[in-house]
Amino acid sequence: MAATMSPPSGVAGFEQSVTQDAMTSLFERMMQDPRALVDGDYNEMMHWSREEIDAYQDKWAQVRFAQLRSKIPILEKLADGQGIQTVETKDDLAPLLFAHTTLKAYPLSWIEKGEFAKLTKWLNGLSAVDISNVDMTGVETIDDWIDRLDQNTDVRVFHSSGTSGKLSFVPRTVADHTLGTINAALFVRDWRGPNSGPDTRQNHIPVIIPTYRFGASASQRGGERNVALLGGGEALYLYPERRLSADVVSLAGRIRAADAKGEQGTIAISPALAGKRDEMLANERNREADMNRFFAEAHERFAGRDVMIGSTWPPLYEWAMAGLARGDVAIFGKGSVLTTGGGTKGNHWPEGWLDRIKQFLGFDNIFHYYSMSEVISRCLECEMGHYHFPPTLIAYLLDPKSGELLGRDERRTGRMAFFDTLITSHWSGLVTGDEVTLSAKEETCGCGRTGDFLEYEIRRYSEKEGGDDKVVCAGAPQAHDDALLLLERLGR
Amino acid sequence: MTTPCFCSNDWGGKMTVTGFRVPLILRGTVIEDNWIPFGGRRGGVSFESPDVALYGDQINLRTPSLMADLYKLRFTDIVEYLVNLGERLTLARNSYWEEAFQLARRTSGLSDSILHAQFDAMGRMFDASRLREAAERACGIAHLEGWVEMPNQSGNKGKARVRAFGARAVHVIAGNLPVVAAMTIIRNALTRSDCVIKTPSNDPLTAAAIARTMIDMAPDHPLTRHVSVAYWKGGDDRVEKVIYDPRGVEKIIAWGGLASISHISKYLQPGIDLVTLDPKLSGTIIGKDAFVDEDTMRHVARRLALDIGLYNQEACVNARVVYVHSGTDQAGLRRCERLAELTFEAIRDLPPSISTPHKDFDRTLREEIDAISYLDDEYRIVGNSGNDGAVIVSLNGEPVDFSATLGCRVANLVPVDDIDIPVRSVNAYTQTIGIYPEQLKEELRDRLAFQGAQRVVSLGAAGSVGLNTEIQDGIEPMRRMCKWIVDESCDGQMLEALAHAEEAETQ
Repeated sequence: MAATMSPPSGVAGFEQSVTQDAMTSLFERMMQDPRALVDGDYNEMMHWSREEIDAYQDKWAQVRFAQLRSKIPILEKLADGQGIQTVETKDDLAPLLFAHTTLKAYPLSWIEKGEFAKLTKWLNGLSAVDISNVDMTGVETIDDWIDRLDQNTDVRVFHSSGTSGKLSFVPRTVADHTLGTINAALFVRDWRGPNSGPDTRQNHIPVIIPTYRFGASASQRGGERNVALLGGGEALYLYPERRLSADVVSLAGRIRAADAKGEQGTIAISPALAGKRDEMLANERNREADMNRFFAEAHERFAGRDVMIGSTWPPLYEWAMAGLARGDVAIFGKGSVLTTGGGTKGNHWPEGWLDRIKQFLGFDNIFHYYSMSEVISRCLECEMGHYHFPPTLIAYLLDPKSGELLGRDERRTGRMAFFDTLITSHWSGLVTGDEVTLSAKEETCGCGRTGDFLEYEIRRYSEKEGGDDKVVCAGAPQAHDDALLLLERLGR
Repeated sequence: MTTPCFCSNDWGGKMTVTGFRVPLILRGTVIEDNWIPFGGRRGGVSFESPDVALYGDQINLRTPSLMADLYKLRFTDIVEYLVNLGERLTLARNSYWEEAFQLARRTSGLSDSILHAQFDAMGRMFDASRLREAAERACGIAHLEGWVEMPNQSGNKGKARVRAFGARAVHVIAGNLPVVAAMTIIRNALTRSDCVIKTPSNDPLTAAAIARTMIDMAPDHPLTRHVSVAYWKGGDDRVEKVIYDPRGVEKIIAWGGLASISHISKYLQPGIDLVTLDPKLSGTIIGKDAFVDEDTMRHVARRLALDIGLYNQEACVNARVVYVHSGTDQAGLRRCERLAELTFEAIRDLPPSISTPHKDFDRTLREEIDAISYLDDEYRIVGNSGNDGAVIVSLNGEPVDFSATLGCRVANLVPVDDIDIPVRSVNAYTQTIGIYPEQLKEELRDRLAFQGAQRVVSLGAAGSVGLNTEIQDGIEPMRRMCKWIVDESCDGQMLEALAHAEEAETQ
């Protein structure tokens, strides 16, 4: 499997592409090219005036649309349908945001029938890079398809977790993946003031990744870049030899979809796919032993050293509780870094859980952010418990029913949508399924950072809809199946 | 949608600053105290209702002997009572009913015109001949009224008689259509049962409005005293551990899916009979004969529009995926597309008392449709502007991946070459299948039944006629609400003889 992974590339382009002129401000340089950020101070950007933020966002909304309109076929269709030729301001982009469903609109039957040329043609419609000429002969699985694109194009497709059975696919180039990694290195260094954190681009530190090494979900793609660019190639994985198979993580949903078609929907599971499935299920069943081995190796190799950890809270909490029970405290060096997102995933841990994690890890340099894998900019949580939009990421707040843009004259709750000015390989304007509360336009957070911010509490609309005690007679319940539930957990 | 005025209310259930008040009805007593707030989290309606946990010991009928008063009534008394009740369920004369209508305007997916028609016509469900027919078909009036001797032609020595008794039941009802509340109260009365109706947040008031009308009409009547109506949040342990106790309840009749059932399942134990009315989806099969000429296509399209658009496609009986035996070659696809165009026109022409553009079009569904609109080779979408609805033709011969979420008058036409494809696509979660023409229905019905379908109907009759509401898709809830009790009589001499081994002559 390792053979299918490409070597890191495109690094040099960013490290040296933009000449830094000491006489111009970061704002002026980023007005010329957003990628000037790679040589800038992230903290400085987080203190731009409202006028600067608006000027930057208006300009790059305008430019990105002009650049990408004719390159991305589905964007062109959407814009034609709306009669939009050009945009002047960021608000003009609001009708051009993709619903998240756009990234998984392909019919599932293509995958079941092995019609990967059609899948490629569809993804080409979302991509600014032409991938339509890649020969798909012999491709039988989603993993094959992703590998074929890896081998023949600059696009490193990544996929969603697939709990609904249908994976979203995002055609992001190596260059944009790399920019995302550098963006993370920048906020690690400058978020709490210029050079307040380690400069991991200059001084690499080992990366700890408590999941699969290989695969094409956002965390595997991001992990690969982190290790290559910031870890100097040194890393520890939970599963260092294994791949998170896109075919397997989507299998539960595909089986459910097939079940819904009665006898007509029997799904053909090839011996190869059955093998992958059984291997991943075996991994899950041995998870506790693997976790223990992983933790032991982390202590052995990295105790006292500075490391970079990218993880959600649940495995960290599990690790910290087990470690503290053994009397382990302050395992890693003070200069270590943790980046995390996604909250507690519905877990209700005892008061003080975060302090206990910190006590175990031995460092405070924690970056908790809100974002989506469809964009590369991140909204970091500040000391006041707000998530801050960097100027590179335009925030849109939509009416959850009508989809209309909501006014920014006061703090309002609505549906979150984004546009990332850093991305050029696909259209990054996306409507999420999240309910958020966004600051008023003129508001400034007590932490002193400028620009838009979100209140801490963020909910999925779908979760709220499920929990409201409505009872209806119409619907398609699904058989409750433990094996399928286990499969569904794989991708999360 | 405009907010209605509630100034005319003359009873306790007045709108509060936050929303509505939904009283607790306990066997003829209206409780309006210990209010706690519910709902309103997602722009939905908020309302207040008494904290049912405080009345836990009064909710179930713990003393079975108190069922006796129902057995002093004759069947004709029950029918007469229900007819009188039905006459009171009119919007013009009943402020409870008016308020239930007004709240439903805010909680329901149905438009005002449909709701108005439903509330205004609900009294017709209480028509004497309809009630008698329902009782006769579901249980047999004689069985509800007394002991009925069983046929005995095999020479058994003795007689067996059977009678349908009512049970003490909790009904967890669905709220997508207000008729469910009325249907539950009718069934409870006809079977001489005792019910606790747990209302859903999407229709918290209709059942209470009927119960209050009963109290005003005949406060001490046994049928009034055997109806309780409560709202608590499904899954509230404080309430449910008391209510789902076999000492106080014999049957649970539960509408709704896994969420609804999973709350209940942890309390199940011997002594409680669970009747589930699972959520289901319905479909359609249209045979080749639909395409003999343009007039026939129009005729078929109108009937199909009825199955799709009735009650704004909020019900389980509505058509969603429509298999069309048009063929999948170019000519076949064109035929299917033409049917889609005619069907969409017919949907738009449906009378506003049964169907309108959806007032709250499902945004997720809209996003799904918009997303596939770029796949010209796979799908043709007719409509989808405004909230009118849409008809999606799957040019690839496969239902759309989001077919389980079709609603708001959006149907998916799937052209096929082989009529076996729709038959094999039916599964255990399929309810009704509307079929054109009649001959095809007869040809397919046995096979559809093997696959899981519950009900086959003439195209257009999925929800518009109601020939079998008492049997309800073959689930027979009324029959299953009853306890069927047997009385067996034998000759005493014969029995005594059995005790003497040598002379024993067992049957």
